[in-house]
Amino acid sequence: MNRRRRNRELNEELEAHLRMAERDRLDRGQSADDAHYSALAEFGNTGLVKEVTRDMWGWTSLERLLQDFRYGARMLRRNPGFTIVVVLTLALGIGANTAIYSVIHAALAPLGIPHPNRAVMVWTENAKRDWHQFPASVPDYRDWQSSGVFSSLAGVSDGGFNLRLADRTERVDGMSVTPEFFPALAVPPRLGRSFLPEEGHAGHDQVAILSDSLWHSRFASNPNIVGSTIVVDGVSRTVVGVLPPSFPKFEKEEIYTPLVFPADVAADRGSRFFQVVGRLRDGVTLAAAQQRIAALEGRLATQYKDDTGNSAALQPIEDSVVEDARTLLALLFGAVGFVLLIACANIANLLLARGASRQKEMALRAALGAGRWRLCRQLLSESVLLALIGGALAIVPSLLAMRFVSSFQIDELRNSNLISLNSSVLVFNAALSLATGILFGLVPAWQAWKTNVGDTMREASRSYTGGSHHRLRGLFVIAEVALTMVLLVGAGLMLRSFAGLRSANPGYDVRNVLTGRVALSDRQYTAPDKQAAFFDRAVREASSLPGVATASAIDDLPGSDNIHGRGLFRPDRPDPRPEDVRIELLDNVMPGYFDAMRIPLIRGRYLNESDTRSSMPTVVIDEYTARLNWPNEDPIGKQLKLGQHEAPKQIVGIVANVDQGILVKLLKGQIGQSYIPASQSPSPAMTLVIRTKMDPDALIPAMRSLVRGIDIDQPVFQVQSLEDIRSANRAPQQLATSLLGSFAVVALLLAAIGIYGVIAYAVGQRTREFGVRISLGAKRIDVLRLVVRQGVVLTAIGMLAGLAGAFGLTRLMSSLLYGVAATDPLTFAAGAALLAASALAACLIPAYRATRVDPVVALRCE
Amino acid sequence: MPPPSSPRYQNRIELLQGTLDMIILKTLQWGPQHGYGIIQAIRTSSSDVLQVETGSLYPALHRLERQGWLASEWKQTDSNQRAKFYRLTPAGKKQLATEHQRWTVLSAAIAGIMSPEKEPS
Repeated sequence: MNRRRRNRELNEELEAHLRMAERDRLDRGQSADDAHYSALAEFGNTGLVKEVTRDMWGWTSLERLLQDFRYGARMLRRNPGFTIVVVLTLALGIGANTAIYSVIHAALAPLGIPHPNRAVMVWTENAKRDWHQFPASVPDYRDWQSSGVFSSLAGVSDGGFNLRLADRTERVDGMSVTPEFFPALAVPPRLGRSFLPEEGHAGHDQVAILSDSLWHSRFASNPNIVGSTIVVDGVSRTVVGVLPPSFPKFEKEEIYTPLVFPADVAADRGSRFFQVVGRLRDGVTLAAAQQRIAALEGRLATQYKDDTGNSAALQPIEDSVVEDARTLLALLFGAVGFVLLIACANIANLLLARGASRQKEMALRAALGAGRWRLCRQLLSESVLLALIGGALAIVPSLLAMRFVSSFQIDELRNSNLISLNSSVLVFNAALSLATGILFGLVPAWQAWKTNVGDTMREASRSYTGGSHHRLRGLFVIAEVALTMVLLVGAGLMLRSFAGLRSANPGYDVRNVLTGRVALSDRQYTAPDKQAAFFDRAVREASSLPGVATASAIDDLPGSDNIHGRGLFRPDRPDPRPEDVRIELLDNVMPGYFDAMRIPLIRGRYLNESDTRSSMPTVVIDEYTARLNWPNEDPIGKQLKLGQHEAPKQIVGIVANVDQGILVKLLKGQIGQSYIPASQSPSPAMTLVIRTKMDPDALIPAMRSLVRGIDIDQPVFQVQSLEDIRSANRAPQQLATSLLGSFAVVALLLAAIGIYGVIAYAVGQRTREFGVRISLGAKRIDVLRLVVRQGVVLTAIGMLAGLAGAFGLTRLMSSLLYGVAATDPLTFAAGAALLAASALAACLIPAYRATRVDPVVALRCE
Repeated sequence: MPPPSSPRYQNRIELLQGTLDMIILKTLQWGPQHGYGIIQAIRTSSSDVLQVETGSLYPALHRLERQGWLASEWKQTDSNQRAKFYRLTPAGKKQLATEHQRWTVLSAAIAGIMSPEKEPS
């Protein structure tokens, strides 16, 4: 606005000048025409006068920025090849960072509760017994409750419920909580109320609270739901409340029922079966609370045998929900950060090379009066412009990466539904682009700052440009190689542990097996006989379905999150000391299980229909157990006890080992596995295992209706083929491995391009020298060696730095590794070899070109 | 743009940067004046030796105004032409004094070099 007015005034001022000049001429007696033209002639070029005058007004910084950008855009358009390479590199680098930021932003989203830092988990710890974040017993919980540290302290226990709907019964995740739970989180229901204190006692607990999502999806958002009755696990409960959508979920719970402590465990300090969450009383700091609870638990530990060696730890609830994801997120963020740094180094290198060829332009601009600042700012705006374009384009790969990550649905990554291009992710993207542009733009700007007009004009006529920025380019390559080395080692370690975890052969045949879980509600199926009868019938009916080869069931599939460990004891030997007891995995199986899974029999026999409740207790062990406990004997016919006070069971068979899943491996490495007949130890929840002669998915409707036909209240859930289960179980490692692997590949490519660029540039600079050498009789191999040596030196320095860095950094990821040390020499060596080979290949291309230098041409081109 | 071919301008001297500023300030010492008037005044008081180009004058006027040494306002001339009149500000007066001082020293020094009292032996 202001500028337009000033322009008008300037026009008027010059116009007045002309008029006055004309008038003077008229007064002196010139004709009108003469006066007009001679006044104009004397005045000179009005356009030019206006322009130079306007230059004096000074520019507002915004106008100057726009000018710089416009100039920058012109320069970039003039070098499309350069621009495309840089922008694409940036789009990949910034895109990866944007995507990972969005993942982290979602995973670390604050819990929707007031003052989340006042809500804590209370865990039992016992290093001697290898307890970390262990559940609590009722008496311990009561003691903590009366410590005065908490305003509310609640017990929670997760589980699932069979929820009866109009036409079917559905399995829904749920949680049983003591009435203090909702005050502890301090979030009131959106409808109705939370549990009353008396509803935590048997006889008054026929109530339920629904999650917002369940209320929408299964109850059509009925506003009058409070007060109505739902049937959960065959029991009628009154809905007393509906939670707000922001209510935090620990797992995927949709229904909350009161947690009523059974009378038989209420006084047993050895029965640890629920978690404890509380809210600190006002005025009590976390540290003070921690100290008081630890002191209290210390007293309990000396007072009660079951608590011996125990301590207690408070953990802010927000830490507990992100704990599992933290290492993974830090790893991914570090990796993408490295990729971007490598990209920056590469671009800085390109800019340096281009800067050399633009020195004349810069010197000219400087000679025309552009100040140093002006030149630096100009170059910086060019870089920032590049980065902003790259950042905008980065949206595309970042969206793809976000979709890729959220498709994994990993439990550790909370809120994967929140992974999106929201405003804060966009702000991050813009800020990162700007910062990136400034980062790599500093290099050419600094170069311009150092430019001395006179020197450059003189030097520009020579083809060899100063050594200082060549040294700088070498430094960038070293840094790139070092960062790539770290990434390669990190990715290599992930790859090795992933390979270890997935163990190509699980020990059973995953093809054509359909599985589905049924959890009988304990009020409807209290008697073990009834439970056994249900599954007997289910398996029998499944076996006779068309297309089914064998049907059976197991309480928990290999690789599931439910692990039952028991101490293994031999009746013929004295009991070992508690810390020497070998833990054995224990599963209940129905007849035909090994057949259905195709787990090979090594010796003896499988469990079968002859193992009944009334027959002798029997057990089948795996090879590992046999070798570990009966190294030089035949275990068949021998006896073992699973649990110190359990009845002895006779070993009737040995089967092959199976992959016990990532969880067991991460916790314990390999341990033994025993199978006992479900008939002798019925379980209320079993997974049906059905080997089919066709596509297992085709059998799903038949399996559902079969189970519904037995009891409509007992839904079958987690219906999946065995193949799908196996791939789902390794999703976190697969995600980390594939992301880290692709980052490492990108880094390797960029580093190779960087090395190539520097060496090729150096070869270009030394063409004449090579021409002379060759004409003086140097062999081509000598020239080759000369060029390659330069690349090898840079790469070697970078690799050494990178190996040292990797040695320090990979320790941080050891919690994600399995079966491989964070400093695994083989991985380090393999990474180094791969990098060295790529670097060498990148050197050889320009080196080969150097050997082809024609001396005559090289000398003439000067 | 070719320079005017009139013989009157052939003795024209290019002014050193900075000297023009001083001359403009000096010219305005006698009272407010517009751009055309300044050119005429300089030409007259230098006996037609100094012809200031519009391409130098107007940028200088606008720069001096921005530096706060000049102020401007729109007024009518005697012949009833609306024109932008520049006048010295107090800061401009001070600047004129400084430049005048410097000029005196400089011209004495140059004069000393160009016409030394003693011829070098």
